[in-house]
Amino acid sequence: MKKKLLLLFIAVSAFSFALKAQDTVKTTSDAPLVVYGSVDTYYKYDFSRHANIGTYFASDNNSVSIGMIDLGLKKKVGKASFVGELAFGPRGQYQSVPNGDGAAANANNSFNIQNLYVSFDVTDKFNLTAGYMATFVGYEVISPVGNFNYSTSYLFGAGPFQNAGFKATYAFSDKVSLMAGIFNDQWNNYSAVTQSYTDGSGAIHQNGEVSTFGAQLMVAPVKGWTAYLNFMSGKYSGTIEDLTTSYQITDAFKLGLNAANKTGAGVADYSGVALYPQLAVSKAVTLGVRAESFKLKAFDTTPSTTYSAFTLTANIKSGPLTFIPEIRFDHNKDMPFTDSSFAPTKTASQFVLAAVYGF
Amino acid sequence: MTFFLVAKAAMAQKELLSFDENNKYIYYQVVDQPNLIADTLYSRAVYFLKAAYPKLKVSQNKTNESITGTGQFVVTSTLLLKHEDGEINFNYTIESKEHKYRYWLTSFIFTPYKTDRYGKSVLVDGIEIPLESGVAKLTKKQIDSYLDQTGAYSKQFGATLKHYMLKTSSLKKETPLKKISTKDW
Repeated sequence: MKKKLLLLFIAVSAFSFALKAQDTVKTTSDAPLVVYGSVDTYYKYDFSRHANIGTYFASDNNSVSIGMIDLGLKKKVGKASFVGELAFGPRGQYQSVPNGDGAAANANNSFNIQNLYVSFDVTDKFNLTAGYMATFVGYEVISPVGNFNYSTSYLFGAGPFQNAGFKATYAFSDKVSLMAGIFNDQWNNYSAVTQSYTDGSGAIHQNGEVSTFGAQLMVAPVKGWTAYLNFMSGKYSGTIEDLTTSYQITDAFKLGLNAANKTGAGVADYSGVALYPQLAVSKAVTLGVRAESFKLKAFDTTPSTTYSAFTLTANIKSGPLTFIPEIRFDHNKDMPFTDSSFAPTKTASQFVLAAVYGF
Repeated sequence: MTFFLVAKAAMAQKELLSFDENNKYIYYQVVDQPNLIADTLYSRAVYFLKAAYPKLKVSQNKTNESITGTGQFVVTSTLLLKHEDGEINFNYTIESKEHKYRYWLTSFIFTPYKTDRYGKSVLVDGIEIPLESGVAKLTKKQIDSYLDQTGAYSKQFGATLKHYMLKTSSLKKETPLKKISTKDW
């Protein structure tokens, strides 16, 4: 009898505890340490039977290959937050982040860092952020979770991947915000690297300049439509003007656009435009097209050359896993591609099947 | 037996929600407060929103003793680790009469998060899924989970409102500064 009463007491206590736990459910999150990231793998076959299209990622031909393991940590407490994101694998290391810090001793030493920054909300509208960050320029990104297509555009490959610096963002409203910042002298480097000096003993030391200015105007004219006008200019990195916009026109149809123009120092000058229409045909399947025209401008005696690329991609989702079959056709009248006999040709085409797991 | 009771309690939250005349999910409660007049209930409701839910948008209609507004809360899932799936936006109304008040939360709309290039969770632009029609866009597991969390949030909202309605002095009283005169003794 005593045993039965004890069991009954335990059961009632447990039930009461459960109810109390539900009654005291917190209405705001505790801002726990958040882990996020992705893994991706792919198979690519170029119809010339060798790697031909020179855009980033999905580089191995006729091989089941890996992209990267991307692992990020982030936490916010009150007004202060941080993000630290590491990546391992071809896509996350030598294909997207620099080796070392420019010093010879670190030439083969990847820091594996995609994002490393701290952020402070001075007010609800005004934020300060400093560190090494994904660039604010451009439509496509390094993470496979952030892109609809698995292969990348010429615009993506030509532009910056990361910018280290300090930026301030002010949100005038939900519809308008402005960012302005100062960044290191070169794109894609962990530290400023342009300058160097020789000390008394003859040793050469790295030195740099925080000499790139960047700004971004965000406007959201109507629900579902966001546009970013981006500007970046520095005496060592050149000047880039970029428009990135996407509009969820209906529940099923989304249209994206990226247009950019680069002049001045740094990488070769270029301009381009890419259109990204996407249609959700079911709860799990979305079809999308990328239509791009990209021009590398003339330099010295090298004439300009123009690529056009048409990519048809499907995203087939099952929970956090996305299967991405894709076919792509590139064209350039100056014949930078080679056919199966390695003879120059105007066209190139490839098929990709990728799997991306985001968490 | 114990596990069964705990599991049943946890699953009960979505059953707190009903459907209104427009077939929208609603959490609706009428609470009697025999000793309180409408004005007192109204002012305590105003203070409740300011103190307990300062981030909710509020619009007050003094004539009708009615407060309406909008708010949002984050919904999560657990895949090894806790994951913030998105936000649910809702409308709320609090009304008071002599010796009673009522409140309801409705128009629950889910917008998913995505991770942006900086690693931040941001709302997916242009995607709004009313929970009533969630089956077209979400899995059954997601809908059940979000309804449970909506029920739990609504219940917590009501419990906190009740606490503030019962507080005898919900508004801050100004206490005069205590001064001592050294002349009178």
